[in-house]
Amino acid sequence: MKKIWFFMVLSSIVTLIFVNPEDCINAMMNAGSDAVALTIKLLGIYAVWLGIIALVDATGLSNKIANLLDPVIDWLFGRTDSETKKYLALNMSANLLGLGNACTPTGLKAMEGLDRQNNSLTASTAMIMLVVINATSIQLIPTTVIGLRQQYGSTSSSDIIVPTLIATIISTVLAVFLVKLCAKIKERLKR
Amino acid sequence: MNISVYITPVLLVLLLLYCAKKRVNAYGTFANGAKDAIKLCLDVLPFLVTIFVAIQLFKISGLTSLLANFLSPIMNTIQIPSELTELMLIRPFSGSGSLALLEDIFSTYGADSYIARCASVIMGSSETIFYVATIYPSQTKAKRLVYAIPVALVCNIFSAIIACIVCRFC
Repeated sequence: MKKIWFFMVLSSIVTLIFVNPEDCINAMMNAGSDAVALTIKLLGIYAVWLGIIALVDATGLSNKIANLLDPVIDWLFGRTDSETKKYLALNMSANLLGLGNACTPTGLKAMEGLDRQNNSLTASTAMIMLVVINATSIQLIPTTVIGLRQQYGSTSSSDIIVPTLIATIISTVLAVFLVKLCAKIKERLKR
Repeated sequence: MNISVYITPVLLVLLLLYCAKKRVNAYGTFANGAKDAIKLCLDVLPFLVTIFVAIQLFKISGLTSLLANFLSPIMNTIQIPSELTELMLIRPFSGSGSLALLEDIFSTYGADSYIARCASVIMGSSETIFYVATIYPSQTKAKRLVYAIPVALVCNIFSAIIACIVCRFC
């Protein structure tokens, strides 16, 4: 991430010096206020989701979901403590239900839990798995895209549901497989 | 109307009824949970600003279109229409940016064209990878994600190829 960021910023600013230097600072300021605007929007969304998650937690439902998903979580993330497992279970159910905005708060808490166990500067396989699963998350109904197609006069705006489902499931399955493979290769190299 | 719109409301009703059964103070619990959002957003904000700066600079410097032009022939060989190169480049970085590109594609080629349908599936089946890769490790000690980003990107490209193939038949 830090390499990508450095390369992007450096190459962009160098290009801008030749193309239009006056836009450089403006663009950076705009980016900053865009980020703040997004955070404020997310603050409201996360507050609602975290409120709902607190209800799920308080009723003991989250432990039940965790027990239900236990075999999957064990297989994907290895052994973890029950608190982390709970957030992993909630994160996965949010992913499966297509509640993109509920994924981040639960995912971050699960990430912190996994980090406590890892205690190293390099992310553990479980942490990488969590990031990759969320970065290729399963999307059941792409509502935004369908809405946009309707707006642009599509006659069958929802005919992309099935292709999207196929593509998203394949990409997530491939992601899980690749992370497992990379972890194995890394282990081999260590020996 | 789509049946999927009922999933969340129905689940919420069930949740509230379950709260009543378990005698959980729903009002107080909800508010307490919502409180966590403030810390979460404050923690995440600096990282968002950082990545937004990079994305914005990259976009206005014209490097994205340059890179898109450069990558187009490669895209064609893996069966992805070259019109979609820029969308695929922006998608991992920015949700709103790629949505704007998607609108461009809709208005240029028509929402029911092959290109537009491929673009829709690519948009729907992928995520803003760099957002996830920035936010998730923001609170952890471990910062090195090793192979996480390459793996996610490979899956993204692969699912785009699948998307374009499936769109031919569906």
